[in-house]
Amino acid sequence: MSALPVIALAPTVLFATSAFAATGPGRRPAAAPRLSEAAALGAAALALAGLGQLLLSGPAVLRLGGEGPLSLVLRLDAVSATMVALVAFIGWVVMRFSRSYLDGEAREGAFHALMLATLASVLLLVQAGSLAVLILGFVAVGAGLRQLLLFYPERAEARRAAAKFSLVWHGGDLALLIAAACLWSATGTAELGRIAALAPAVSGPLLSFGVAFLILAAVLKTAAFPLHGWLTEVMEAPTPVSALLHAGIINGGGFLLIRMAEAVQTSAGAMAALVMLGGLTALFGAVVMLTQSAVKTALAWSTVAQMGFMLLQCGLGLWALAMLHIVAHSLYKAHAFLSSGGAVAAVASLRRPGPIAVPDLVAVLKSFALALALFALVAGLFSLALGPKSPQALALGAMLIFGVAYLVAQGLADAAPVALTRRTAITAAGAAVAYFSFQLLAGLIWGPHLPPVPAAGALEWALIVLAVTSFGLVALAQTLFPLWAHHPATAGLRVHLANGLYLNAVLDRLIGGFRAVKSN
Amino acid sequence: MFMNHAQIAPARVSAILKAAERAARAVPPAFPLDATVAVNPFLGQAGEDLATANARLRRVAGISLVRPRADFLAGIAAGRITDDDLALALLASDAPAKPADLATFKARLNRPRPAPQALPSVADLAARATGTDWPAIITRTVGLWAAGHFDRGQALWTPAPGQTAWRAWRDWATHDLTPEIAGLTGFCAHAAQAPDTPDRALLRAAERLGLSEAAAETALHRLLMDLGGWAQHARWLLWQAELDGGSDHTLLDLLAIRLVWEEALLEHVPAIAEAWAATAAAHSAPVEATPDDVVDALAQEAAERAHQRRLAGTLTGPAPRAARPALQAAFCIDVRSEVIRRALETQAPGIETIGFAGFFGLPLRHRPFASVETQAHLPVLLTPALDTAADAAPETEEAARISARAIRAWGRFRQAAVSSFAFVEAAGLLYGAKLVKSALGLDRGGPATEPAPRIESGMSAEEKAATAAAVLRAMSLTEGHARLVLLLGHGAHVTNNPHESAYHCGACGGQTGEVSARVLAMLLNDPQTRAGLAGQGIALPEDTVFVAGRHDTTTDRVTLYAEEVPASHAGDLAQAEGWLAAAGVIARTERALRLPGASARNLPARARNWAEPRPEWGLAGCAAFIAAPRAATRGADLGGRAFLHSYDWTADEGFATLELILTAPVVVASWISLQYYGSSVAPEAFGGGNKLIHNVVGGIGVVQGNGGRLRAGLPLQAVHDGAALAHEPLRLSVMIEAPAVAISAVLERHPELRALFDHGWLHLFTLEEGRIAARYRPGGTWQGRGQPVQAA
Repeated sequence: MSALPVIALAPTVLFATSAFAATGPGRRPAAAPRLSEAAALGAAALALAGLGQLLLSGPAVLRLGGEGPLSLVLRLDAVSATMVALVAFIGWVVMRFSRSYLDGEAREGAFHALMLATLASVLLLVQAGSLAVLILGFVAVGAGLRQLLLFYPERAEARRAAAKFSLVWHGGDLALLIAAACLWSATGTAELGRIAALAPAVSGPLLSFGVAFLILAAVLKTAAFPLHGWLTEVMEAPTPVSALLHAGIINGGGFLLIRMAEAVQTSAGAMAALVMLGGLTALFGAVVMLTQSAVKTALAWSTVAQMGFMLLQCGLGLWALAMLHIVAHSLYKAHAFLSSGGAVAAVASLRRPGPIAVPDLVAVLKSFALALALFALVAGLFSLALGPKSPQALALGAMLIFGVAYLVAQGLADAAPVALTRRTAITAAGAAVAYFSFQLLAGLIWGPHLPPVPAAGALEWALIVLAVTSFGLVALAQTLFPLWAHHPATAGLRVHLANGLYLNAVLDRLIGGFRAVKSN
Repeated sequence: MFMNHAQIAPARVSAILKAAERAARAVPPAFPLDATVAVNPFLGQAGEDLATANARLRRVAGISLVRPRADFLAGIAAGRITDDDLALALLASDAPAKPADLATFKARLNRPRPAPQALPSVADLAARATGTDWPAIITRTVGLWAAGHFDRGQALWTPAPGQTAWRAWRDWATHDLTPEIAGLTGFCAHAAQAPDTPDRALLRAAERLGLSEAAAETALHRLLMDLGGWAQHARWLLWQAELDGGSDHTLLDLLAIRLVWEEALLEHVPAIAEAWAATAAAHSAPVEATPDDVVDALAQEAAERAHQRRLAGTLTGPAPRAARPALQAAFCIDVRSEVIRRALETQAPGIETIGFAGFFGLPLRHRPFASVETQAHLPVLLTPALDTAADAAPETEEAARISARAIRAWGRFRQAAVSSFAFVEAAGLLYGAKLVKSALGLDRGGPATEPAPRIESGMSAEEKAATAAAVLRAMSLTEGHARLVLLLGHGAHVTNNPHESAYHCGACGGQTGEVSARVLAMLLNDPQTRAGLAGQGIALPEDTVFVAGRHDTTTDRVTLYAEEVPASHAGDLAQAEGWLAAAGVIARTERALRLPGASARNLPARARNWAEPRPEWGLAGCAAFIAAPRAATRGADLGGRAFLHSYDWTADEGFATLELILTAPVVVASWISLQYYGSSVAPEAFGGGNKLIHNVVGGIGVVQGNGGRLRAGLPLQAVHDGAALAHEPLRLSVMIEAPAVAISAVLERHPELRALFDHGWLHLFTLEEGRIAARYRPGGTWQGRGQPVQAA
């Protein structure tokens, strides 16, 4: 088990290139932009090789040294290989983008150096096989991102965003440190694989304490309610930074939970907390997103929501699906940020085909019935073919199908032409089949390496009912949206939501974000 | 201290409201980015000269309208600006505060000028007194409200439509707790108790702030400048309303909103009362240029004279003209056409190019394929009069519309609250492939091929002939037609660029130009038109065929729409295509030299690159406008810096075409030149900011990062290459080959046009035989070549 995992080389390549780029921090360095992209592409190739190595010779562990709690271990397995491949691929896209985008900036070389160092840190983090590497990775990512957020240090908004980010992120690091200490004390090992193996057998307050702080670290790093504010303000840095953050760095919290899934799952309370906090964040973020008129701000709120949804999946014990969500969301969000310059054209093209047909209550109810029928059919078929699904998985399917109802409803509006109804119905069916297939695939790829879904007891059932009901209600409200959104009684609600319920303003007040500063 | 409207003297009421109106009109309109055009940022200051406008905008915005003195000094040191240029600028000035002689002028120019500083607002004073950044909080909260209010479809949950800005904001502010959290307790109640009309709010605020009638104008202008692009967007709403014969109150609503804040802060921080009273007193002083302003303006004038001197050196007299041209190609007057026109003319001696405003004189209201909305394809000074639409069968259009609506439904599925999670799980993985495609520039690029346009409002044979004759006359294209005449509109192929329309055709209202070119070609090829043209006094050879096309300014490729060219002209067409392709190579090579990292070969790839901040330079560098027969400038390398309008005054009966050129293309060109000027010298107020942190808002504009202020104007990357400005900020030099008397007569009839020349926002020259003959002097006189001033 000590064959060298090739993905371990990826951060090395990037750190070396970063050091080179740092030697020419100024405008239009001769080779750095090109080399940076090449290095990122090289890292992506190594990640691909890592996948090959995993398939051919199975999981591997690389011990770099260190003793006891400080042992430095890297790990190649289904989870780390996936994360490395994902982050390295997005890293390549982002570095290629930066090569053109940053051209002529006064600190062009420094930008490439910082991006590569941060990217390398993320790649290191997601290969962590021991607590020390995990902590080092998180601290390094935080330090790198902070410097990137301050790429225009003269902007007061940027300094405010960086201050908020550092506070929350390093707060998460502290929580992780405490969690690590507890886990090490409880299990006597700092290797993540051994902790996973030992955790279900060990019990006691130390382990529970460790898991609680692990959850705290994860929710801080995924920008969960109520400390999500740092994520919604970080479009102060150039677009590629946002893409790397929202498609790479933000996954750190989810990765942490999935990596420690065996330990997390020992605590029903921790799982319940994840379901509640994740579900709340998901709905909160998604509703606030509706009110945002600036494209990057709306995307940032969408990330808050999507990460909340991922936490919910973790809390339900659907670890493989959480993994799927991380991968799918990252690819989507990287593209959405990098292509956000097209928002002017996108908004203009929305108006061209004429007014939107608004579905009435009957059409909406019909669409929900249709969507649930579709769900029963697809889920039934999949269950018949592949055996019964857990109640948690079925609940998640139901929540997602409420979303599909929205698509169906748009085609059922009285004013919608038949051809449109047909198109949306086919799309809806396609979407339903697609995500059940992807979920199936996720189960096949990552399922064997992650703990099984816990048996549903009273607590789990209560949470399932709560989650399905609240998602169902929000989905219903959303589908009926045009019928009530402009009612005077909702005007105040819209103002409060557009302000993200002022949680950010309160945080600003607390940390002095409203203070006047010298330059503007 | 309850203040009643009725307690204010009627004379004061009307004086304050008039001052508010003047302040509102001092703000330039900003067109939304889906179809943006350049606007003169100093539109409201056209009645005063640069030095005075500089003093005014320093007071209200803390900006300087002239580049740093170090730039001029560098120009002098490098010999680009000579002592002669400086001396002539000094001599021509009639400013009382001007330096006595050249030595004094240069000595004063060598002294650093004081950093511009705006008079503080109440919010500024409150921030200084309390340490809380009130201006930033106002920008943030007003910006969040405005983003929703002016949103054209970005957010799914927008505010209730149909409310005035004032009412909408009051509703918003009574609920928004942000100011209270920031420490301004009672602001919600303050907003709820604000007067029911913006006028009353304005008057009440003027009383509470102690604004005198004299102080009101710049004090209010100061607040509007604080609102940045939002005020300019509202000014655009007024512009559009007035073009349609109506009016719009949004800008004054915004002013009232900003005043409510000032009132509240003055009450909240009573300690600043004294400082504010002093500020209000400073606002009542008349706006006057300081000696420093005069020196700056003179240096600017000298830099422009230096450019004119160099330009005069390249204008060496007319080139001979071929008998019947082998090809005629009409381009837009846009400075970017100059490069490819010059390149095309080198392909064969018989090739003639023509410059004309890119909307080809047709005031189109065009409905694109599968759209229910129409677009105005004409300069924004004019109103559309001719309806056109994409020529497609109704069932084809309906099918395309259903497709578009299905895609839109999918987009809403992606955006809506719960369905966004389903979207990610079902479709997120597919974005992996999209990322690869976009990263490698494999997305379907280039202009969408729209069906040919058709004229919706029918035209009689007489109307067709009359319209065609009018356009041909305006183009000075009444004789000597080639067998093949190309009419080339233009557009820019850029990817993922919010400012795309700023690269398109300004004369087509920020749209691409091929629709106008195709309509004109259709009209001129129409047998009914041809039959009637003789009656209009224009002899068009029977074998002349018009073909429309589109010049892609990013790639210098020309697409011809030649579906209906008769077989007899197939040879001419093939030859023309060959010439255009070869000219494109030359043009790309020339343009790539100026564009960092570009080569003739990679320009098309840059157009498809979604990360490219500088796909082309647009009109950066524009400095001159020349209306003359092409023979006058043919052979001269004008470096892509001159608008070239073909004009032959000897064929211009009654100087109707001259009047048209001066009042439309010259004004549009001046707006472009001054927009580039403003975005270069005062990017904080009139520039679009840094592209790298642009955040598109509401489908209408951009903010910087997380900021709340809309940014109008050109982004930094459109005028700057990173190391230095790519646009030398110069006011436009207009040169017209026509008798000075005729030009003076036109200026007499258009006082607002004359104001631009009299206050130095444009320079004016006459040409004779392709050489500069006389310079227009503010006040209406002409100064001949080395000769004393002569009366017009």
